[in-house]
Amino acid sequence: MKASLFRTTGLALLAACLAQAPATAEPRLTVISQWSAGSEGAAMDAFGKMVTEKGVKWEHSPVSGFTTDMMNKLRADIIAGRPPAASQLKGPEIKAWSAIGATINLNDVVKATDYEKNISADLAKIHKPKGDWIALPLQIYRVNTLFASKKAMDKIGATELPKTWDEFNALSAKMAAAGITPVAHGGIGWADTMYFELALAGISADAYRKAIMELDDKSLRGPEVLAAFKQLRQLTKWMNPANAGQHWSVFLPALMKGEYGFLMMGGWASGVLKKGNFEEGKDFLCGATPNNTGKPVFDMNADGMIFWDTKNADLLAGQKATAQVAMSKEFAKAFTQINGSIPVRTDIDLSDAGFQDCQRDAAKNLSGAIAANQAIMSLGHNMAQTSPVTAALRDVLTEYVHNDKITPEEAQKRLADAADTVR
Amino acid sequence: MSETAITMPGQARPARPVPRRSWLSEIPDLLTRIVAGVIATAAVGYVVGFTLWTVLISFTDSTLLPEYNFVGFKHYWQLLNSRIWQVAYLNLTIYGLGFILGATGVGLLLAILIDQKIRGENVLRTIYLYPMALSFVVTGTVWAWLLNPTIGVEQFVRGLGWTQFKFGWLVDRDLAIYCVVIAAIWQASGFAMALFLAGLRSLDGDLYKAAAIDGASPARMYLRIMVPAIWPIVVSVLVILLQTAIKTYDLVRALTAGGPGIATTLPTNVVYDYMFQRGLMGAGSAAAVMLLLSLLIVLLPYAIFQRLRRGKGGGHG
Repeated sequence: MKASLFRTTGLALLAACLAQAPATAEPRLTVISQWSAGSEGAAMDAFGKMVTEKGVKWEHSPVSGFTTDMMNKLRADIIAGRPPAASQLKGPEIKAWSAIGATINLNDVVKATDYEKNISADLAKIHKPKGDWIALPLQIYRVNTLFASKKAMDKIGATELPKTWDEFNALSAKMAAAGITPVAHGGIGWADTMYFELALAGISADAYRKAIMELDDKSLRGPEVLAAFKQLRQLTKWMNPANAGQHWSVFLPALMKGEYGFLMMGGWASGVLKKGNFEEGKDFLCGATPNNTGKPVFDMNADGMIFWDTKNADLLAGQKATAQVAMSKEFAKAFTQINGSIPVRTDIDLSDAGFQDCQRDAAKNLSGAIAANQAIMSLGHNMAQTSPVTAALRDVLTEYVHNDKITPEEAQKRLADAADTVR
Repeated sequence: MSETAITMPGQARPARPVPRRSWLSEIPDLLTRIVAGVIATAAVGYVVGFTLWTVLISFTDSTLLPEYNFVGFKHYWQLLNSRIWQVAYLNLTIYGLGFILGATGVGLLLAILIDQKIRGENVLRTIYLYPMALSFVVTGTVWAWLLNPTIGVEQFVRGLGWTQFKFGWLVDRDLAIYCVVIAAIWQASGFAMALFLAGLRSLDGDLYKAAAIDGASPARMYLRIMVPAIWPIVVSVLVILLQTAIKTYDLVRALTAGGPGIATTLPTNVVYDYMFQRGLMGAGSAAAVMLLLSLLIVLLPYAIFQRLRRGKGGGHG
């Protein structure tokens, strides 16, 4: 018994050594992400396949659950001195985390391609926080996406999505009169934050950039932010208060049935609708959220991948090859077709049958917004600010959404004060 | 003999000469001490060590990782002045009082009812105690369904025909915290009942008889005689429930996620939020230390109370 145990352990050890030995020779990539299942997991698998075809061994360890769970794993790995070669990370957190762990410099790899010319400059800046490329964006979602229930629209005789907030308010009033709850909203903190940001971005993208992305005090206390709070209060009156604390996806069936009129949610909702066999044009309409500025606005949520310095030659080779794949046009198409996002590159043709109209509309929207300098970063999705700042603002916004005793003026003051404490 | 007979003041018995034992017989004793000592040192070091470390971190500007640039009481002042912390502490007060008094009251009532030598006592006792076996996450999830106006009790009663019936506490920002209280009482009152019942059963049967002969009504008998007699148990239950209340985290997380808005956030939720969502280790540690202090504020008087009681030599255990 004892002898056989020894033998098995010995064999296992030997096998482990053997498995380890060739791995150090060939390029490989260890990567952690929260994309474990569903279309996200499938997109990640497709990514892995493309990387494997380049001769890199793909070792993906998904940490499912909240983003925080993955971040805690990352933190532990960095403290232990053995970070993964790559990990999912986005927005200003890239800068924050690159301060505590060493990253590799991807300048040569990026400069060798036409990648940088074909993506948003603001987005590029996030992925090279100190001037050097240390991370790459993988996909973009349009946060300012408006979904309308076809049944609800038919009931009030509307055929087109509202273009401005006035049009939106007029249609919603009609829906309310027809017994429809105009706005489908669950009311979890980040979603409340997102509704505020959509109101402000649709009133003035410039004010959004100054007030939210730069935390400019004058803008925070300015008339546009106040107008956004007023619009948000109007929106909350059209929500079902009984939905507090629920996830947005809970209301999709009721939305499709015409019990709700509109849902404002990032482009990922179209992927969920597609999975539920609902058709764009027949069951729902999809486009940009109301916009008073006259020029395209794009509220961006872009997932990225950061590359950690592991001091291993095999991993370094794997990182370079992976970065090349991530910047390629083929990857852009394959990855986004699966999960319903849109490519980071603006020079991709989305006429393939694999894309939805909603994605094509978002991609067009992105190019237009970049040209008009109105591509902005989402607050609710941690793209505009680091998490401490986001959370401080979120506390104010979510309380405002669920407490109609707070006036827009009071809320604006609280928001500006909250920004003061974290600036 | 005469030397050993000298007694120290306060010593009850004169010391007797201890027969000399061989060193071999002391080995097991020594071994026990060493093993217990190592474990105790590890446990105390673990708790005290990390507590001290948390206190240290709370004075630094640590964010994602611990750093040692000291900023004094900055995090404490910022927290005390922050709305989320004020809301959380008010909630803790409401929740703490409601939960402790509620669970104790319901537990006592159940214990007294079961004490009536009823049939099926074992079954009932198990049923009442059963919620204790569940985790707060399960409790929270189940009550979230029950109290949700669109799928729970409200919908059920409306389905019975009362179409105007309203029970939307869970989504009302002023009343949602009471939903947390209700769920927590449901969970813990069985535990209180079990302790009270054990106390009541340990009382001498003559007490009952004497009271009955004196013509005391059952209610009076329990309130004036039985409950005071098991007072130490009541205090223990209160203290155990209190520390449960202060450390409650998962219940809110599962039941309301702190909402609507921030209306049901508790201090523990703030600590987690600061530490792991916001990546503010310094501020999160400060919040944790303040939570520990609020526990001490309650537990210290209890410890003093115990000491005084022991000093008087009364009560059991």
